[in-house]
Amino acid sequence: MTHITTRAIVFVLAAAAICAAGGCATVQPWQRGRLADRCMVFDADGSQTAYMTHWQEAREASAGGYGVQSGGCGCK
Amino acid sequence: MKVPLVGSLVALAVLASPSLSAAPQTPAPDVALQTAEGAPIRLSAYHGKVLLVDFWASWCVPCKTSFPALDALYRELQPRGLEVLAVNLDEQRKHADAFLAAHPHRLPVLFDPKGEAPLAFGVKGMPASYVIDRSGTIRFTHMGYSGDVDASYRQEVAQLLAER
Repeated sequence: MTHITTRAIVFVLAAAAICAAGGCATVQPWQRGRLADRCMVFDADGSQTAYMTHWQEAREASAGGYGVQSGGCGCK
Repeated sequence: MKVPLVGSLVALAVLASPSLSAAPQTPAPDVALQTAEGAPIRLSAYHGKVLLVDFWASWCVPCKTSFPALDALYRELQPRGLEVLAVNLDEQRKHADAFLAAHPHRLPVLFDPKGEAPLAFGVKGMPASYVIDRSGTIRFTHMGYSGDVDASYRQEVAQLLAER
C-alpha cells in the first residue's frame, strides 16, 4: 500500500512539474512591449521607486536591477 | 584562479557594453517586410546598396534617442548612397503611428508586427542595427544605443560606401 502511495505521489509531482514547465516561454527582445509598460512595475508608486533607486545607486555605487520596466535592451 | 576571474570580468564588460560592433560577415537574411500601406517588400530589393537596418519599437526607451539620430544620418548620407530602413516591431500599429507622429522623420519606416525579421537576424536586444554592404553581407552590428554608436555608423558607412 505504502509503495503504491509513494509511486502515486511521485507520479503526481512529475505531472505537476511537466505542466509547470509547459508555462515556460522565451520572451524575445522585440516581444517586451507589455513587460516594458510602466504598469508592469511591481511597486505601487513608480516615481517613489525611481527616487529610492536613485538614492541607493548614489550610495551603493550600483545601478539597475529594479523591476522590469526598461528599454528592453538590458543596458538601461 | 586569477585567469578565470579576469576572463569573467572581461566577458562581463563585453556583455554589458551597450554597443557591440562586430564583423560577422554573414549574408543578411532576405526577410519580408511591410510598408506603411501594407505592401510587401523584401530586403533583397536593396541588394547593391549600402544599407543600415534598424529594429525599433515605440516602447523601447533608447529608441527615442536612436530614431532621430538615424533620421539625421539618413538625411546626411542618403545623397551619397546610404539606405536606412527603420523596421518597427510594435505588435499594435497604433503605438508605432503615435511614435512616428511625435518624431517627424524622412527615413523609410517598414513594419514587421509578427517579429519574423528580428528572429531571422538573431536580434538580442533593442534597438538592434545592422550595417550591410553592397553584396548583402552583414558587416557591422550594434545592440542598444548610445551616443558613440553614431560615430561608429559614420565610420562604417563611409568604409562601405568607399568599397565598389
